[in-house]
Order: sequence, then C-alpha cells, then structure tokens
Amino acid sequence: MASKKTNENEVTPENSNSRRDFIKKSGLFTALALTPSTLVVASENKWDEKIAEYLETVPLSIEVNGKKHNLNIEPRTTLLDLLREQLQLTGTKKGCDHGQCGACTVHVNGTRILSCLSLATMQQNAQVTTIEGLSKGKKLHPMQEAFIKNDGFQCGYCTPGQIMSGIACIKEGHANSREEIKEYMSGNICRCGAYHNIVDAITEVKEGGKEL
Amino acid sequence: MSKTSNINRVDGFAKVTGSATYSAEYKTPGVVYACLVGSTIAKGRIKTIDTKKAEWAPGVLAVITHLNVDKPSGYEKAKDKHNFGQPLQIFKDDSVLYYDQPIALVIADTFERMRYAASLIKADYLKEEHATELKKAADKEKKVETDKGNDYHRGEHDGYKNAEVILETEYTIPTEVHNPMELANIIAKWEGNKPVLYTKSQGVEGTRRSIAGVFGVPVEDVEVHSEYIGGAFGMGLHTWPYEIAALIGSKKLNRPVKLVLHREQMFTNVGFRPYTIQKMGLGATKDGKLTGLTHEAVAMTSSYEDFMEGTVNMSRFIYDCANVSTRYRIVPLDTCTPIWMRGPGEATGSFALESAMDELAYKLNLDPIEFRKRNYAEKDLEQNKPWSSKFLLECYEAGMEKIGWKNRKNEPGSVKEGNWLVGYGMGTGTFGCYRSPTSVKAKFLADGNLVLQCSVNDMGPGTATMMTAIGAEITGFAPENVIIEMGKSGLPKGPTQGGSATTSSVGSAVHDACNLLVSKVMTLASQNAAFKGIPITDLTFENGLISSKKDNSKSISLASLINSNKPEDFEVENLSKAAEEAKKYSIYSFSVHFVKVLVNPNLGKIRLAHVVSCADIGTVINQKTSAGQMFGGAVGGIGMGLMEALEIDHRFGRPINNNFADYHVPVNADIEKQEVFFVNKKDPISNPMGTKGLGETALVGMAPAIANAVFNATGKRVRDLPITLDKIIETVKV
Amino acid sequence: MKNFQIIKALSSSSAVASITKDTSVMFIAGGTNLVDLMKKNVVAPDKLIDINALDLKKIEFLNGKVSIGALAKNSQVAEDQSIKEKLPLLALALAAGASQQIRHMATVGGNMLQRTRCPYFYNTDMPCNKRVPKSGCGAIGGTNRMAAVFGTSDSCIAVHPSDMCVALAALDATVLVEGPKGKRQINFTDFHRLPGNTPEKDNTLEIRELITSIEIPDNNFTKNVHYLKVRDRSSYAFALVSVAVALELKNNVISNAKLAMGGVAHKPWRLTETEDFLKGKTASEDIFKQAGKLGMKGARGYGDNDFKLTLGANAITEALTIAASK
Repeated sequence: MASKKTNENEVTPENSNSRRDFIKKSGLFTALALTPSTLVVASENKWDEKIAEYLETVPLSIEVNGKKHNLNIEPRTTLLDLLREQLQLTGTKKGCDHGQCGACTVHVNGTRILSCLSLATMQQNAQVTTIEGLSKGKKLHPMQEAFIKNDGFQCGYCTPGQIMSGIACIKEGHANSREEIKEYMSGNICRCGAYHNIVDAITEVKEGGKEL
Repeated sequence: MSKTSNINRVDGFAKVTGSATYSAEYKTPGVVYACLVGSTIAKGRIKTIDTKKAEWAPGVLAVITHLNVDKPSGYEKAKDKHNFGQPLQIFKDDSVLYYDQPIALVIADTFERMRYAASLIKADYLKEEHATELKKAADKEKKVETDKGNDYHRGEHDGYKNAEVILETEYTIPTEVHNPMELANIIAKWEGNKPVLYTKSQGVEGTRRSIAGVFGVPVEDVEVHSEYIGGAFGMGLHTWPYEIAALIGSKKLNRPVKLVLHREQMFTNVGFRPYTIQKMGLGATKDGKLTGLTHEAVAMTSSYEDFMEGTVNMSRFIYDCANVSTRYRIVPLDTCTPIWMRGPGEATGSFALESAMDELAYKLNLDPIEFRKRNYAEKDLEQNKPWSSKFLLECYEAGMEKIGWKNRKNEPGSVKEGNWLVGYGMGTGTFGCYRSPTSVKAKFLADGNLVLQCSVNDMGPGTATMMTAIGAEITGFAPENVIIEMGKSGLPKGPTQGGSATTSSVGSAVHDACNLLVSKVMTLASQNAAFKGIPITDLTFENGLISSKKDNSKSISLASLINSNKPEDFEVENLSKAAEEAKKYSIYSFSVHFVKVLVNPNLGKIRLAHVVSCADIGTVINQKTSAGQMFGGAVGGIGMGLMEALEIDHRFGRPINNNFADYHVPVNADIEKQEVFFVNKKDPISNPMGTKGLGETALVGMAPAIANAVFNATGKRVRDLPITLDKIIETVKV
Repeated sequence: MKNFQIIKALSSSSAVASITKDTSVMFIAGGTNLVDLMKKNVVAPDKLIDINALDLKKIEFLNGKVSIGALAKNSQVAEDQSIKEKLPLLALALAAGASQQIRHMATVGGNMLQRTRCPYFYNTDMPCNKRVPKSGCGAIGGTNRMAAVFGTSDSCIAVHPSDMCVALAALDATVLVEGPKGKRQINFTDFHRLPGNTPEKDNTLEIRELITSIEIPDNNFTKNVHYLKVRDRSSYAFALVSVAVALELKNNVISNAKLAMGGVAHKPWRLTETEDFLKGKTASEDIFKQAGKLGMKGARGYGDNDFKLTLGANAITEALTIAASK
C-alpha cells in the first residue's frame, strides 16, 4: 500500500493469523492474569476456544430508523438477527432465513434487500429502514394506509416485508402496471394469498402520487 | 349493507407497523435460545450421540437428549410404551420414527452460538428398514372404525358398475405442507410449577389440555398466549414435540427458552396434508343422471398416530345419487404425523370427485355444469335431512357469467388466443358448518368502550374484526370503541380456530353476550328514577344513551349509569351453544371455483388468466376480510393444483425439497386476474347471524378446476397433482 | 454457522494476497449465495475477505467492448439504460433471475460463482461428490428433476443455476481475473467447467484469483434477442431450462446467431452447432424446429429430468421464434 494509513480491518500479513495466535496477541492473557496451571485447565476444557469466541466480535456502527447504534457483534450475525434479537426490532420477520421468501426485506441506504442474507458487519455505517421506521407515531406511511384499506394481508407476518418491498417497487419505477407490480413483488411470498389486494394497495399508492 | 359490513381489519395498524407481537417476539428478560437437532435416518435407534463438542461450544447452557432428559411425568401415564396413538414423546427413548425427528435440544445464550453448537452434534444409529412410499406399502393398509374410517354405503354397494356409462379412474395427491410464513415458534417458561407458553397454537384451550397432560399439572395452571399467529392453515391444531422440548429445556435451566423451528423443520416436524391415492367409480345414464358413485381413498399416516380426515365424505352428499359407496384406509409410514391442512379431506376428495365428474361429463358429451345441475341434490341424502340453505346454483350462475363460460367449447383444444390454447374449468367445494360451545364476556366501560373477551385466537381470517363488527352492530357502538381481548388463557373459553367454525361459534357467542348485556343494562336503566313509570319496552339504547322512545328528553347516558352502579352490573359472561333445531338440518357452505387457463403446450406453461371464486357462506359479516379469505383460499388451491409437492428420496426416507426455493408455493405473478363473489344470503338455521363458514371451502375445489381447465385447453387429463409442465408438454413434430 | 474473521480488503492486490492456499479463506461480495451456504454448513470458511470496497462496480462502454465490474449489482446492470439498448439479452437474463431484493445484493462476479441448487449438494446429510468428494452422487438414481442432460459424469449431474451466465456465454464474453501471478483473461465459455471426476471444482478459477470484470465485445444483437426461462412458477424460481438467443436478421435471413442454454449442464451450454446450422438460413417455423432438435442432440435424461429433452428442444424453437419476431 502506498499510504501508511492503517486500518485495523485491512489485510496485512500480520493480522491474517489463526485464532489462537489472535488470542496470544490480544493481550487478554495479561488482562486475565492467568497462571500456567490455569492455562492447562483452560486447554483441557477448551476454554481457549470459548475465550476466542468471546473475543471474536467486531465493532459495528449502524443507523437504524434514524437512530445510531454502536455495537460489538459476532461477524456471523445477520442483519435480520441483529434487528430482531439484539435491537428488539421484531417488525422485520424471519420466514425462511435463506433468501427464499422476502419476509425480512428492509431498506439499506434506500435499497430493498434481504436482511437474512446480509451479514450485519458488512453494513458498516449503513442507514437501515425497517417497518418500524415508516410511521411517525400514529401517522402512517401511505403504503401502510393502503395496505389497511385494501386489506393487503391476513395473518400479517409477511406484511412488513411486503410493505418495504412495495415502497421500493414504486421508487424503482417498477409499478407501472399490475403485471409489472406482480413480477417485481414476486420476491415476497404471502402464504395467506393476499396478492390481489397487495397489488391493489401498491397501485393505489402509485396512482396517489404521494412522495414516498 | 350495515355500517360494519366493510370495516378494516381491527389489527391492521399493529400488522402494518410491525408492532403486532408474534410468539417468539415477546420481550422476555433472560431469554435463551434453543433449537432441535434432527435424526439423519428415517427409522432405527440411536446407538451413540456425541454432545460433548456442543456442550463445550461457547455460550452453550444445556444439551438435552433421551440420555439426560428429565422426562415429563405425563410420559409415564401413556397407554403404550411405543407411543402408539398419541403424539410423539420427544426424547422418550432411543427410537427414531422418522427423518429429522428431534434427537437433541441445544440451548445457548445467543442465537448464533446455539446454531453453531447444534451443528456439532453427531449421532450413530442402528438403522432399520424404513417405509416412506405409500404406493409400496399397500400391505400395511388398515381400516379404523371411526366416523371417518367406517365404510359407507347407500343403495347398492358399488352400484356404479351397473350403469349405462361408467368411469373408473385413479387420482393422486402428493404430500403438501402448510408452510405458514411464520415459523413454528415458542417462548416457554415456568412460573414455579406453572408452565407459561407463548406459542403458535390455533387453540389456546387445546394446548393447555395437552401441556397439562404431558407435564402432569392442572389445566388451569397452564398459561398460553397465542395473540398473533403468522398463519397456520392447520399446523397449529396439534401440540408438537418442539413445544414440549422448549418447556423441558426451560424447566432444566429455570430460564425462559425461545425455540424457533427453521424452515426445513417446518416440512418434517409439524404435519402436512397426507399423500393420498383415490379410486373413483362413477356410473350414469346416457342422459347424464348419476346412478352410482364409489369413492375410495388410501392415505398415509405416521407409525405412531392414526390420522384421518374426511377425504371421501363429500362424495356421500354433494350429488343426487342413489347408490354411493365410500371406503377410507390409512397406511402407517415412517414420517411425522399428518395434520389437517386448509380444506382438510374435502380438498383432497374434491380433486378426485370433481375431476371424475368432469371426465364423465366429457364421456356423456355434456357441459360440466349442465351435468352437475342434472344431479343437483335437493336434500342431503347421506343424513336424509333438508339443507338449511343452499345457493350453489347461484354460485354456478355468477361464476359462469364472470369467467365468460359461454366462450368455452366442450371440444378440448378448440379455443385459442394467439398462440395460447384456452381452457375453462370449474370445481365444486363444500364444507360443513360447525358450532362449538363458546364463552364470551362482554362489558361496557365508563370510558365509552365495549370490551369483548374470548380465548379464541386469530391466525389471519379476521376473527377480531368479525367480533368487533358483531359487537358493534348489537350495541350500536362504533367499531373503534370495541376492544377485543383474545388469544390467551384466562379469558372465557373459546374454541380452536379450525374447521371454518370460528365465526359460527365465537360470533354467535359475541352476539348472545352483547344482547344479554344490552338487556341487563336496559333492565338496570328502567329502574332508574329518570324512567319512572316508563316500561322497559319503551326504552331505546343508541349511541351510548338510553332514552324513552316517546319522550327523548328523558334519557340517561350509559357512562353515568356505570358510574352510579357497580362495574359488574355492566358485564355478562355467557356460554353459547348451537340450538337443538339445527340438528334437524344439514348445514354446509358451498363454493365453486372457475378458472380460465392459457396454455403453451410446447413449454407446458399454464397461465392463470382469470380465476373466479364464488361461495354461498350464508351471511357475509365483513365483505373485506371475507373477500381476502376467499382470494387466499383460492391461492392455496392454486398451489395445490400447480406446484406443491413434498418430494421424498425414498432410498433415504428424506424429503429433498424441504425449503422455500424448491417447494414452490404461488408467488404474486402466478395469478393474472382474480375475483371473488358471495351470494350473501342469511342461513335461517346455522346460528343467529346466519353464517356458514368460509376458510376451508375457499380452497376446496380449486385444484380440480385447474385440472379441468387444463384438460379443456389441451386434452391432457392430469390425475396426479401437481400439474407441472412435464405432465402436459407436447413433443413438437419436426 | 461457525464464527469467522472478516476483513475488509481495500485493494484487489491485498484481497488476493490474503487468500491462503487452503479454502478456509473466501471472498465475500453480495453474500446471497455464500451466507446461505454457510448457514447450511455446506461451506465453513475461517475467514472472509469483504471485497465490497474495491473499485470494481463500473459499467463502461469502451472502444469495441463493454466492461462490467465484478462488483456491479445484478439490478444495476439489468436496469442500466445503455445495457438495455446495447446488450438487451443480458438485461433480460438478469431480470429473470431471483427476486429484485436479491438482484440488488448480488454481484456479477458472485452470480458467476454461485453454486449449484442440486438438493443433494445443499443437504449435508446426503451424499454429494461436489460437496464431499468421493461421497457419491445422490441425484443419480435419486430425485433429479433439476439435473443436467448434457456433459454429465458418473460423479455429478448438477446444473449451474445462473441466468446471467447463459446470456454471457451466448455473447462471447471474457472474464478478467487477477491473481498472485498477475492478471489473465478467460473466455466465458471456458470459465465454468464440466464435472468429470472433480465436480467439487465449478470453474477454472485458480485459488487466490479474483474476478475483476467481464467484457463483452460489441455486437449487433440489439433487436432480435430473447431470454426464455422455463420454470415451475411464474417468477422467483430457478430455471428448469432456459435459452438465450441473439440473432442478426437481414430480410429474414439469419446472418448471425448466438445460442446458449441454462438448466441443462454443469455450465452455461453454448449451442455452436445449432448456431452454424442457423447461419444463412431464412427464419421459419420449420428451421426453428430443426434447430430445437439439433440443439438437444446428445442430451441424456436421468429419470425425473427426461422431460428436459423435449422441453429443451421446444424451448429453443420458442426462443428463436420470439427473437425473430421482435
């Protein structure tokens, strides 16, 4: 690299090491003041693995619905699980956890994506909007109102994903006909079968012309 | 149209804002994460199970298997040590009865650690030969002497064989899986010896009873919350092993445990619509009068429970036919137990019956609707009772008009739009109207609200909205002033949500409780000094005001009445039951699905150009939510007709498409145009509102409608669902 | 999912340098396939190199070719106005894949590297030579509706699931890669490989090599093109069979033709013999039917997927007919 500027996450030969090396370097041993005999016990009980796992979190700065969060998370945490289990934002739903249903759709930097296939750590400094971020108190977003009026749901479980996707569908310019809406909403499965009414709701919002 | 006949869903705000709380979403301090590890064989015994690595993994709090489980006390009382005839007793012993049967419960402090630890569990097995293929297990076929299992005969046994025109055909439906969007999930905890469950149940009271049985605690000590359910379609009608496992884990750790199945487990551990083979024998005169109908079904069940459904029942009564025989058999296979899936039995049966009716109509060279009209049943010949009401003919007429049936030609493949072959088809559905005893408490509050309480839940059909509408109609309250408390124990006991009986049962109970409450209040008001000398019959109750009909200057507000009396004077809890009179009638909902398909035979592509679903469900309480339910039932039937099938690799006894990418359900683009229609005529017998039920019949008859339309378009008769493109593709001649 | 380290690469050379010889280190871009595979324990890397910060997102119209950065999102390419005009076949193929949410996440390079959707590959309880070499092929003799009909081996009958790659194979694209030995180019049709005895290798990329871009030579396929995708539902499903067709027609005579198929082989399946057959012929129903038959010559079914032989031929005919009629 030309610049000497270092980034703790940047790849260098020094930091691409194994887990145990990582522990040794971490300074944790001094912090815990482990005696050699403790280390033997730790090894036998695989405590070093446990310590390693505890250490292997990474900092994440992320903005969700306008609120900034500075967190330490495991790299394997998905954005979906971060939202639901750590930030208690359970409006975003887990339907399949494998990118096959669309229930977990959120907006990241204004684009609809599947939060179940997104590692949270890769959303550093991102602006995330979830269903909870649409309404202002009792004042609903036009798409939320249209879903209620057109009965675009039954059980309500796919609904947050449908609404996030529906808003994006219009913003992307893919709501010019029922046929186009149907195609661009096909990544959101509704097992109750509310598709007809979902298309009605999106059509109504699109024709209403409000800024979304 | 009443003022409540088109109200918005009362839980709409919660559902569109993400504030509706489903089971696994309750904020529970100290909650820990659990999952189930499944067997990798379909039958045998666990030889060894290595849990050490999982136990050592970071954050793991417990790993529970049959080797270290504290067995619930109810296991001992089981009538048969092999679990026969009852739900699987999780971790009871080393036996494996189906693929992905839970063999371990892993609990850790975070979701990620729990999933990783679960991946470290390895088991060795003593494998036994498994049987998962219905077609190859006919030797295990058995008859179960119950209402559903008994043979039925009217007139001559298999009388169809003597007819002028005979049709004998066989139909197959594969295993289909409910797959609600919300995964099966639970937060389980114990408060002392009392289990508390936040779970995906269609019946709060049923779950309480089964949990009480398993853990040996009084039913009243079991607390169940199922306030929002992200769809279930029948899979919530059983208490499943995962719920027991979560309670076992919670008890061991003395902490709340959250357990959410992953989607793959939704295909293997919480029931399904069973693979069923049906044989039809139909006989008619040359001019189209049915003279004989035999319907036989063989369906799969598990090795440990006898599951049955009314697959052949519709054939006993839907048409006017003198000689009817039905037989139903089950075959135990090495799978999880099936459970009723939307339109249970009838959906399967109607595929065979309504396909066969279509085939016979062609054989007779009759329009399929004309053929049905010639065999219209004026009364229920099975029970020998009159119909309480029946507007099936009106459904036929409305559907024919909307779909453009007049453009249909009986000759297959004779109508084209551009390069597309056009086909029209229809299928009839029906479902019984049931009413369960239901308690509802209604109370007026001084703040101007009406509270309605019942432990019934709302998995999506709009139960709360229906209760609101009925309560508002009877009391004159605005719908926004009706507060519904439901979906949890401790409330007046409601029924299980299933069998299209919720409106009939709970709606009637709301109706009765509200009427009693209004009477009680009027009686109390009439004793008030303001109305001295005025008979109660001269008082009215409107907009929260009780006044004299003759002199409206004499009035008293409900609020002031409440404030000057005891609160309990303004509440009524009432148990509501079906009237004896109803037993004299046969009460059924009816539906007819019409489909126009466009088929490209070279690619096997079937487009659903237009789908029209018509129903006679008695009174329509709420046009909006009922239409939604009908649209949705039709979509469910479209999945059944065109794409849904759990594929098993029988060499291993494992499903191979147990995920949402490979097990296809309809997406938005699959249906081009969809309409629904209700006759909306009150049934005079069913219940005080005159409703007959919708949720099930909304799906029944759709699959045969598609099969019949595909035949009309292509001349290809598909008798094994789903109708995938490989079954209709044509070889192009070069 | 196993925990792992994740490191952000700020240059392609440092990204390449960080990949060790063993496969426990992997690049991650959109993650739509990799995260899925990690959740299923099909792959379990110790370390991920997040390459999203690399400057590889551009779509450039250069002299004689179009260059698309490996990190360009599928939707970005599909909806690029110039791509729609100059490479409409590519835009159509991209729009037919997955769902809009996934297209927003998935990159061009990741699309090329996505693994098969064969259920035996995904289910770690099943035999699969691609996942665990020498464990056997579950699909042969099993449920194989999705499986290949061309270029199969006794080890593997899996198909490559991409739509985009089918169009790129037809359009004579080139893959640009960077590795420890420097940069090199691979013909798109040589990028993916047939399974042979080593089905664990999907492509000819070497360890530590990173796809940086693809290049498509300028062409005249701006009008008579079609991407026909046949699947089990109308959208959001992988192809049973797909056909990418690009024709140049002059007075209804085919002066140039490019054809490739998806859903039939371990790689996008280019139909050069059929292309040669079509060149110089007058477009007609009969010629297109003959092309369909020719295109499927040598195909072999494995039971559940036998229908692909008929479907494949019909799909070629249909795609040609539609392309010619535009």
